[in-house]
Amino acid sequence: MALRKQNTDLRSVRDGLHMETQRLQSGYAALRNDQERALAEVRGDAEAETKDVLKAWMRSLQVLADQQQRSISDLAKLKYGNDPQILADLMTIDHTNSQFGRRAQGIAALCGGWLGRRETAASVYDVARSATGRVKHYDRVKIHNQVSVHVTATAVEPVAVVLAELLDNATNYSAPGTPVEINIQPVPTGICLIVDDAGLGISQEEKDRASALLNPQAPVSITSLGNPPRVGFAVAGVLSDRYGFKVSVDSVSPYGGVRAVILLPESLLTNEAPEPVTDTPADTGTPEVAPRVAAVPAPVSIIGTTAGGLPKRRRAVAVVPPPSVSESEQEPERDSELTASRLGAFARVALRERDTTTTEGSEDQ
Amino acid sequence: MTTHGEDATVSSELVRSYVITGGRRLPSSDDLSLHTLVTLAPDRELPLGASPEVRAIWDLCSGGYLAVAEVAAHLGLPVGVARLLLSDLAEQGHLLRRAAPPPAQAVDRDLIEKVLYGLQSRFA
Repeated sequence: MALRKQNTDLRSVRDGLHMETQRLQSGYAALRNDQERALAEVRGDAEAETKDVLKAWMRSLQVLADQQQRSISDLAKLKYGNDPQILADLMTIDHTNSQFGRRAQGIAALCGGWLGRRETAASVYDVARSATGRVKHYDRVKIHNQVSVHVTATAVEPVAVVLAELLDNATNYSAPGTPVEINIQPVPTGICLIVDDAGLGISQEEKDRASALLNPQAPVSITSLGNPPRVGFAVAGVLSDRYGFKVSVDSVSPYGGVRAVILLPESLLTNEAPEPVTDTPADTGTPEVAPRVAAVPAPVSIIGTTAGGLPKRRRAVAVVPPPSVSESEQEPERDSELTASRLGAFARVALRERDTTTTEGSEDQ
Repeated sequence: MTTHGEDATVSSELVRSYVITGGRRLPSSDDLSLHTLVTLAPDRELPLGASPEVRAIWDLCSGGYLAVAEVAAHLGLPVGVARLLLSDLAEQGHLLRRAAPPPAQAVDRDLIEKVLYGLQSRFA
């Protein structure tokens, strides 16, 4: 009897202890939850602050890179264009600068910043060429199939940056000298940009990592990208999510490497060629230089836009100076003095040339 | 993803010139000089897969002779880049060119004086 009572007492003590343990465990779990939440919050705040600072920082770098590109273009066009050696050196600098600008854009994108906005739509082909110019081994990239479809102005930079990241992967993870191909393929829902390399492909683990980054559920933590960071897929994921296009890298290229595909939906495409930004520059011939035959601006019609967004012009008639024309017939200068004076100088050279060559007969080759 | 603030405009050229040349070696400036005149050869077909720049040259040069410098200015390309594209077309036989004339020689004063003297003594 006494034993039975003792047993019951012990049982109740044991149950009491059991409950106490459970209470402590749940208390511990709650504390741990709180701590983790607090830590996550602090980490999140720190990450958000870091991203804000980086974003502002990158923005200044992006602006500088853009300015640098403009300076290089101006030097190449206005000053050193005729010297193949200097021009080639300028191109090397330009190429490095493009890669630098792309890095800054990538970090900005990961930090929720802007890439910089283009003012006009651009053909898919030109966007692909632009992307090509932003990677180191651009000379290995071949672009097939030009289509007349254009990418809307807002999507030009995001698509170019994402494509550049995919090309960077493709060129870096395949043997030097092997080609990387871009195929532009219209599909019922839009346009596909298909990047094929002849590398070794990627492992299932890599594919999973890529697919997680390409379909981001939450903002990417920049500290989770490793050191040195591998930002390509993360950048592609953030940008495709923000601008509404799809990127996948889970198929195999015909050469055994990776096939990466960007699917641009109709909403990011337009059939309209961008409107010309500049006015028609008028040729100017001055009476002092060409007294006998004045330069007459041939009727020029704008037929589209060049890769750089400049209007493409077609001369409506052959550019042959009439025997005598009065200066008053010239059109007044409407565009920037720079363009006009430049064209004027070329025209004068050309006219002088014509005057002399016509007396010597044709030297057609 | 939150974004705030205005997006800055990017105004540099979208397609860089080294992509247009494909990183190929640029021809010497002696080959197609600034004032060499070029035009399309008659009855030529635009090559398949021609780049937008080549198509622009095709349009520009179909109307008569233009100086190399003019072609470059119209395309908005550095002269060296336009020269490479033009020399490609010339190699493929699509382009006629008219070489730059030799620079005018300074007149030999002695010779002119001798001629004048000769003429005067013959006809005066």
